[in-house]
Amino acid sequence: MHIIIWIIAGALLPWFPFSWIFNRLLVSAPGAWARALAVIVLPQLGLLLLLKSGAWLILGQEMPQALRALALFTAILYAYRAAGTRDVQIWARFMGTSGLSLTWLLIGLLPGHWGVQLFALAWSIPAALMLVWAGILTRKTGGSYLGLTGGFARVLPRLSVLMSLTALAATATPVFPNFFALLEAMESLPLIWMPLLLLVLLLWGWTVGRFLQDLLFGIYHGESLHDLSVGGTWLGGLALGIFALVGLFWGGIWIIN
Amino acid sequence: MDYQLTLGDRLKVRTMIYVASEPIPRFWPMRTFIHHNPLFGLEHLPFEDAVEEAGKLFHGRGYLSRSEYQEYWQAGKVDEAALRKYLQAFLVKQGGALPPEVPMEHWLWSLLTLCKSEQLVPKTDWLNGAVLHAALHGQGLDPDTANQKERLQEILAHKIALDGPVYANVDRLFGTDIGSTLDDLLVKSCLDFFDEGQSAWQSPGRKQGFFTAWKEVAQHNVRFFLRGLHLRQLLESEQTPEGVVAHILRELQVPEASWQKYITRQLTRLHGWAGFIRYRSTARHYYWAEQYPADLTDFLAVRMVLGMALLQEAVRHQGCPANAEEIQNFVHADPLSAYLRLELYTGAILPAWAQQVEDMLARRKRPGFDRVAEQYIAAKTRWEGERQARNLLRLAKAMGAEAEAQLLGMSPEQLDQFLNILRAWEKGEGFCWLRSMESHYIKSLVNRINIPHQQEAVEKRPFAQALMCIDVRSEPMRRHLEAIGDYQTFGIGGFFGVPISFLEYGRGTEVHLCPAIQTPKNLVVEIPAELELEEEPLYGALEHVLHELKSSVLSPFVAVEAVGLIFSLGLIGKTVAPLTYHHLHNKLHAEKPVTRLLLDKLSPDQADSILRAVQRAMIVRALIKEWNVPRDQVTDDDVKELREIALEHVSGPSALAQRMQFSAQQEAEFIQKLRDTYRVERHESSLQMERLGRIGFSLDEQVRYISQALLLIGMNRNFSRFVLLVGHESETENNPYESALDCGACGGGKGLPNARVFAAMANKPEVRRRLRDKGIVIPDDTWFLPAVHNTTSDAVELFDLDLLPARHLLYLERLRNGLSAATRRSAAERMPSLGGSEKLAQDPYAAAAMALRQTHDWSQVRPEWGLTRNVYAIVGRRELTAGLDLESRAFLHSYDYRLDPKGRLLETILASPMVVGEWINLEHYFSVVDTQHYGSGSKVYHNVAGRFAVMTGNQSDLRTGLPTQTVLKDGKPYHEPVRLIVLVEAPVAFAQRSVGNLVKIKALLGGGWVRVILLDPENEYRAYVLEDGAFHLQERCATPDSQTILEEIA
Repeated sequence: MHIIIWIIAGALLPWFPFSWIFNRLLVSAPGAWARALAVIVLPQLGLLLLLKSGAWLILGQEMPQALRALALFTAILYAYRAAGTRDVQIWARFMGTSGLSLTWLLIGLLPGHWGVQLFALAWSIPAALMLVWAGILTRKTGGSYLGLTGGFARVLPRLSVLMSLTALAATATPVFPNFFALLEAMESLPLIWMPLLLLVLLLWGWTVGRFLQDLLFGIYHGESLHDLSVGGTWLGGLALGIFALVGLFWGGIWIIN
Repeated sequence: MDYQLTLGDRLKVRTMIYVASEPIPRFWPMRTFIHHNPLFGLEHLPFEDAVEEAGKLFHGRGYLSRSEYQEYWQAGKVDEAALRKYLQAFLVKQGGALPPEVPMEHWLWSLLTLCKSEQLVPKTDWLNGAVLHAALHGQGLDPDTANQKERLQEILAHKIALDGPVYANVDRLFGTDIGSTLDDLLVKSCLDFFDEGQSAWQSPGRKQGFFTAWKEVAQHNVRFFLRGLHLRQLLESEQTPEGVVAHILRELQVPEASWQKYITRQLTRLHGWAGFIRYRSTARHYYWAEQYPADLTDFLAVRMVLGMALLQEAVRHQGCPANAEEIQNFVHADPLSAYLRLELYTGAILPAWAQQVEDMLARRKRPGFDRVAEQYIAAKTRWEGERQARNLLRLAKAMGAEAEAQLLGMSPEQLDQFLNILRAWEKGEGFCWLRSMESHYIKSLVNRINIPHQQEAVEKRPFAQALMCIDVRSEPMRRHLEAIGDYQTFGIGGFFGVPISFLEYGRGTEVHLCPAIQTPKNLVVEIPAELELEEEPLYGALEHVLHELKSSVLSPFVAVEAVGLIFSLGLIGKTVAPLTYHHLHNKLHAEKPVTRLLLDKLSPDQADSILRAVQRAMIVRALIKEWNVPRDQVTDDDVKELREIALEHVSGPSALAQRMQFSAQQEAEFIQKLRDTYRVERHESSLQMERLGRIGFSLDEQVRYISQALLLIGMNRNFSRFVLLVGHESETENNPYESALDCGACGGGKGLPNARVFAAMANKPEVRRRLRDKGIVIPDDTWFLPAVHNTTSDAVELFDLDLLPARHLLYLERLRNGLSAATRRSAAERMPSLGGSEKLAQDPYAAAAMALRQTHDWSQVRPEWGLTRNVYAIVGRRELTAGLDLESRAFLHSYDYRLDPKGRLLETILASPMVVGEWINLEHYFSVVDTQHYGSGSKVYHNVAGRFAVMTGNQSDLRTGLPTQTVLKDGKPYHEPVRLIVLVEAPVAFAQRSVGNLVKIKALLGGGWVRVILLDPENEYRAYVLEDGAFHLQERCATPDSQTILEEIA
């Protein structure tokens, strides 16, 4: 029974090979906002399923090493795939998948529901924001594929800043909550897992580097574009700001404890 | 494959490379920055055609954008009548292609003045009248499959040219990025080889030449090995660089008929480096080129070997075509796939399709690919039509409802014609704007210029006369100097008509101080007038140690903690108190001693005596250093004997060796060292004798240079007590472009040596006696005094005052006062435009203090405006411009046609100073219209490369033009880009005759590289403007100038 729950949960809280279903679900959502909502809601549903059914603790006791290995494999696989894509929407999905799969590292470790759910949320929120930005970019340029016409830094400065910060948030850059969440997870893991986790971080660094390179640099040579409105920028900035503040709060608590 | 190249083949390749490099302008090292026309190699073409050709070669644009011209138009700086005239002429050329109900003039005028976008009709693949018609009426369009296939072939043939670089075509079809990787590797190789002392570790084997040295290093280069590049086989294919080039071109199966074009494209890809190597390989007396030879054949060979290796790597890993023929086969076999690849990898694809196309291309099997490709083409066609419809409707809306109705009422065929006319207009629009802007400036000058009085008043002897450079920065100084007192000024090329090769005291290499188009025959050597102790001063030695530490690669690991603080003192001093720091720093340095110039030609005996003296000194030094024998133990005869042995006049053993009991072996080693290290050697002696023969000027030469210079500027009488020869230079800190602010007429060098040479010659009694015979009477109390104008601070400093006759000292105070007053007035005029407060215009002392600070402020990216905003060159008497505020925008060359019956002097002016002015003007022009390709981008990202140029970031092509900080202000052009407007005061027939004698100048004027106005003094000073190959009368009228128009708009 737990195995079935585990499989269903693997499709909602992404986890190879069922992460494929998670991604299909996201793609099939109609519009950027729906995709953003889905990337937040689906993992939470998966978690609830695991937690409420008790599978979380039992699976953690039965096969913790295999689950952790699979989780790290999923994170590495999707980080690598994200490095190879230039489509912002796909990038957001892959990075979301890569980060969310790390939630499985905590299996059997965290007794409180809230901690695990917040951990998942720390990866979902930047992915959701990036999906929203991808939608806006598609509306402005016809697609969310980067690097075709040079960098957007000059023509879409506001949107570019928001996308850059979100990309940094998606890759667990310090001050954002997922960075502290990751530290917390690292602390609770055996030392032997560290090289793989560091590999994930390395891949994220590479991925975000490529993303920013395609997004910002190069002389733009496309059609003239209208940037994001000031109000929209404030709103996006506010969301990111709150997210960063939560990160600092989380970090503070973690350090104090 | 062994192709066995014959000597003929090799020569053919070298010739091809030579011809292919012709369009690439030479790039002088930045130590002597030469303002040059970036399109110099295309000057044989008319300006408009050259700009178009350069667009293909260098990918640069030749005109400002439409919206920038519109801003000038709104500011009243474009002659609207001229613009309309060019528009009408264009329409006449087009004929009645469209029905009369479409008023094309109205459409095009609206496009000119209302449309803000860069291009109304952008380049498209599929757009035609039918597509546009459908888009305008919101209708669908049935795919025309037959036409589509034909069009697809056309597109592919155009975009994947058979004679295009193979790697570039592979990049476009496979997204391999070989081009930029190749550039990176090549730039790295060039930096290693061409370094001129910046790197602490030198590349090995450089004396063998670029290709040979690189070849040896490349075979052991770990970086290449790690990249998987197999160079060995390629390098073993041929020994010579031209052989390698031919071998690779054949491997790539480039048709031989296309080699020339192929080579040109290869060389123009990094045209900064190619231009530098081109300059270097042909420069005379260029130390680094003599030591480490290299030419474009080497450069091309290295490029082609690396390119081939990268291509082979891509073939191995990605299975892409390996040569030109395979590429064509690949394209013809699957044109749809080739098109989609092109779209994706060149970034032209519709963003919505990019991911899908990328996914499909990545798959080995592609079911349904053709269908997707056709859908994409349909989408692209629709998108192009809709975008064009949007652009046109936007313009029509701005024009009025009638225009919209006209647009919607056109048939597909009419729309086709309409688009063609718009395309043709947009292609030539920039040139029309440019000419209209120039027309404004031409009218403005003609209206402002003074008409000299026919009868000259009795000449009063001025207190002082000053010969200043024609440089635009001399204009305000001249104006202010004349305004404050009894001064008369003349404009002359800053080398004062005396081209010299100058060997400065303390420097090891010669610099050519004359326009870059000349090669000086005479060498001038600066020697100290006082004897110096050999020992290095303590501070100098310490500084030497610190510099050594700074450049060492190990320093960061071992010395930061120990000596880092010492560097920080300078850093803080330069930043917080630049002037104080500069004064302190100068106090610690030994001052340059008083020097004299070796000016007179040496007789063979004198030359021989000098050579012997130098060789003896070297032998004495060698004895101390090599044998530790002090001078007091050596007699003159010993030294003489050793010299004779070294020169192989006699054989050893020497008396000294016997006396000191050195073995024969030791003596032989010492003699060899004398020959190798100290250059006491027979062949070297004859070379040095030849060099000594270049020193100085004969008396005839001195008289010729002085008389020609004085007659050139119309100065043959009424000499005052002081005749100042004011050379100019700039003084800035932390500025790789410093020499760009120095004297262009001195080849980017400082003008003082030429001024000193001229003054020394002109003060000689023998020269004056001969000049009197030529009708130039210089009074005995006239003294030619060299001076230097620091264009950053506007200070004028007098030189060689120790030679000044005692009777002149009485007037020195007045002279200095006058000069410093002019300095302050000029600074007050300039400083507000350099970021100073507007109040500085009323406070000359504060303005001068700010200008002085600019010279030592190392954070200053724009210490002065230099030659920016230059627009005019006026060749004529000072009366034409006396009292006129030309805002530092005019090159002023004094000239009096009445002293030039044969027109030879005018020919000299046109052939040299005018060409220098043209180069300066076009360097600025192109640096403004395309700051990235012809300019050098922002200074902020510049790094000095090898001490001879700058690059953007740590690795790039050499940036050859001017930085944005020099030509832009607040992101807008500060330099108004128009071609140089040359006004010559001379009778029309006379000037035409002079121009006719100069083939190059005729081509320049005829091709429109400069605009010419002739002011005919024998025809009531009527002005004639050269346009479209003929002179047209330009009436003088009192039209309001741009300033007034601006005020009216406000």
